[in-house]
Amino acid sequence: MTAPSVQGTEPLYPTTGEPVSVNAGRNRLGIWLCIVSDATGTLALLVAYSYLWSLNVNDAWAPPKNAWASPLPFWLIVLGTLIATLLMWWGLRSISTGRRGGLILAAGLSALIVVLTLIGQIVQLSTFPFGPSDGAYASATFWLCLAAAFHLFTLFFLTTAIVGRTRAGRIAPDNHSHVRLVAMYMTWATIAIFLGALFATTMTVSPNDNSPTFGTFSE
Amino acid sequence: MSATAVVHETRDVPQPRQHGKPGGFLRHTSIVTGLVSGIVLAVVTYAIGSHFFVPWGTQNADFTQVGLNALIAATYFAWVIGFMAGIGALAGPIRWALGHDLTHDDAEYMAGKGQGKWRYWKYTTDHKVVGIQYLVMSMVLLGFGGFLAMLIRTELGATWTEVFDPNFYNSIIGTHGIVMIIALIIVVTGPFGNFILPIMIGARDMAFPRLNALSFWLLFAAVPPLASNLLLGGIRDGWTVYQPLGTQAPIGMVGYQVTIIIFAFSTGVASVNLITTSVTMRARGMTWNRVPVFVIGVIASSIMGLVWFPMFQYSQILALSDKVINTSFYNPVHGGSVWLYENLFWLLGHPEVYVVIIPGTAALMELMVVFLRKPLFSYKVAVAGFAGVVAISSIVWVHHMYMTGWAPSSGYPFMLSTELISIPFGFLVLVMLGTLWRGKPWTRLPMMCVYAVIWDKVVGGITGVYLSDVPVDQYMHGSMFVVAHFHYMLMGAGLFAAIGATAYWFPKMTGRMLNERVASTGFWTAFFGFQLTFMSMFVAGLQGMPRRVLQFDNAFNISNWLSTIGAYIIGIGMLIFLYAIITSWRHGTIASSNPWGGKTLEWQTETPVPLENFPVLPVVTGDPYDYGVPDPYGPIPVEDTREPAVTR
Repeated sequence: MTAPSVQGTEPLYPTTGEPVSVNAGRNRLGIWLCIVSDATGTLALLVAYSYLWSLNVNDAWAPPKNAWASPLPFWLIVLGTLIATLLMWWGLRSISTGRRGGLILAAGLSALIVVLTLIGQIVQLSTFPFGPSDGAYASATFWLCLAAAFHLFTLFFLTTAIVGRTRAGRIAPDNHSHVRLVAMYMTWATIAIFLGALFATTMTVSPNDNSPTFGTFSE
Repeated sequence: MSATAVVHETRDVPQPRQHGKPGGFLRHTSIVTGLVSGIVLAVVTYAIGSHFFVPWGTQNADFTQVGLNALIAATYFAWVIGFMAGIGALAGPIRWALGHDLTHDDAEYMAGKGQGKWRYWKYTTDHKVVGIQYLVMSMVLLGFGGFLAMLIRTELGATWTEVFDPNFYNSIIGTHGIVMIIALIIVVTGPFGNFILPIMIGARDMAFPRLNALSFWLLFAAVPPLASNLLLGGIRDGWTVYQPLGTQAPIGMVGYQVTIIIFAFSTGVASVNLITTSVTMRARGMTWNRVPVFVIGVIASSIMGLVWFPMFQYSQILALSDKVINTSFYNPVHGGSVWLYENLFWLLGHPEVYVVIIPGTAALMELMVVFLRKPLFSYKVAVAGFAGVVAISSIVWVHHMYMTGWAPSSGYPFMLSTELISIPFGFLVLVMLGTLWRGKPWTRLPMMCVYAVIWDKVVGGITGVYLSDVPVDQYMHGSMFVVAHFHYMLMGAGLFAAIGATAYWFPKMTGRMLNERVASTGFWTAFFGFQLTFMSMFVAGLQGMPRRVLQFDNAFNISNWLSTIGAYIIGIGMLIFLYAIITSWRHGTIASSNPWGGKTLEWQTETPVPLENFPVLPVVTGDPYDYGVPDPYGPIPVEDTREPAVTR
């Protein structure tokens, strides 16, 4: 590689010598595409949930003794993720106006809330009144929560990375595109977790009381 | 396509602090460290897990060995994580999180500068290295899948005896199917999308070089779980692995599911990279109507992969979940539905056909203009064809499920949409035929592949239209006719296009000319064998021979003998072609920078391609296919009106 060189006053990306805005635009498209791919995966889970809910195969959608999951933990997890995301956007606004300390505070708080939410998600998964093998509702709800846990784990990495990068001086008022990328992904993760919560709390009892019967496969 | 230089004002770029020597941790990693850490972590996981996963080896009411499945799945994932950590894939994210950004020297080291051939065995980010890695990997996978195909045809050709145990035969069928699907998905986009595309658009590298390395090495890590299935009971249910057979299958099935989950991730990462590179890194002056058609094809294929692969991935995540934690997504006893699996599976399963065919078709369009020395016939129709295929491919999946009993009334709308997709697909064939029309071809091996693929596409396409009709499918489904049809599309149009692309870009990628005499012999031998194999298979299918059986009526003997002879001829042809590749790569004639006289940018840089592709970034001032069209910026030609000199 030749020594990178370019003209102008904008900060330059060290490995390619391009203005950071060029690199930021490229990263932004990359994140959008990742979100599209993640959204399709989330859609697959939501399709699975609603498909089994609407069919109620073998009248086995409901968990044993109709022990549905409590809706409150779902919405607390959504609330936690939403607050963490809003904090990151606030951090972006801070760094845009030159306040590096504001970003460190916002990202730090965001990371803290994400980790608390992740712990809450794990607690919810381990205290469901059913196991993953207790019917289709139980299976689908487990996987919506596992997907939320995966998103929260990713957010934990991203938010702590923003704290680390800002403290290391890699994020500055004239070069803060990574904060925007993380905030964008957090927004999508909040939407995904919200959709999961919406499905799991509002689509409980199957509307199909004339369920198809496929037998027990035990003969 | 003209190219001029962009000259920058020279000024040093401020660099972050260099932590240690350039490359840092990656100086100590390679495939060796990856293999060691992957195997160690897998063995440790197996040893520890065998004490915790209960009930060990026992079956539940649904015939599944829950504990053993979980143990094998954990071992496979441990292998993948260990391998990726050992080869250095986690170094980038950790450095990013800590704020230890790469310096220019770090980036050069990671791109393989000064590491010779060893760079092919490391987590190298240079797109040319990744392209070569993909080329070799796809040849290995095709060789493995082809070997399994020979075993299948041996069994079916030996009509007087049973060569393999039926369960093992079924495993061969399933493994052959999925290995070939993976190989064909990567065979054009992997090598040429990575090596050629960035140069073709005038870029120095891919948009995300580290993701480029990640996509390849994830694929590499996904192969051992798939290959090992044959030792663990195999994939006995075809490459589609319908439920509940998949859940009830032996533990070899776990290898299939883990491989698909990892491969889908690899494909998603590669798709993000290819699309972003194509959209944001084109050279100055390369407006969208000047983008080479191969780039459009790769974008189209990547969009389908990006959008639909997660569906496929989740179909297998949920299937694995049913196997290892006994969830009930596909188990009707506990409220699951096998049709859920089929829908999720085919939502990618059908677009996947176009993920295979589109890049190959685009590569052939790219090369045929060079060998015909005339512009592509209606570039815009070609682009419309690609766009139409991408759009309609998402609404045709149910034609794979006509006879499953799922929503019979949906058959006719999906019959219509399936027939509809033949229109944009027909555009692509028409563009190729239009480009050929009145052309004076320079008949070299890449051009021969164009003729072969047009023929295969016509046969495969027309039989596909038959199969899309519900009444015909009622008779034909599950027969050898279907097998012949999709081989015409995937192998006939996909693999032979890949051979054409390989022959075309071989000089640029290896710096040597392909021995065309030997390679053409191999190609035509394989092509002849292909026609014999699958035309005979059409006949067997029309006679009523079902697929996936190893015992059949004597009425099908002749067709099967011919198919088996044809398959062996394909094998011989492919070996000859492989011989040509290997010998030419090692001892072939040194290639010039532009041996075909191509106008796209990859031919305008020197061979071997330098690390940053171009000494200075090019500026595009013309059309990539303006053969025979006067240069609008060139001097106006003046007719010479002088009287010719008279000589006596």
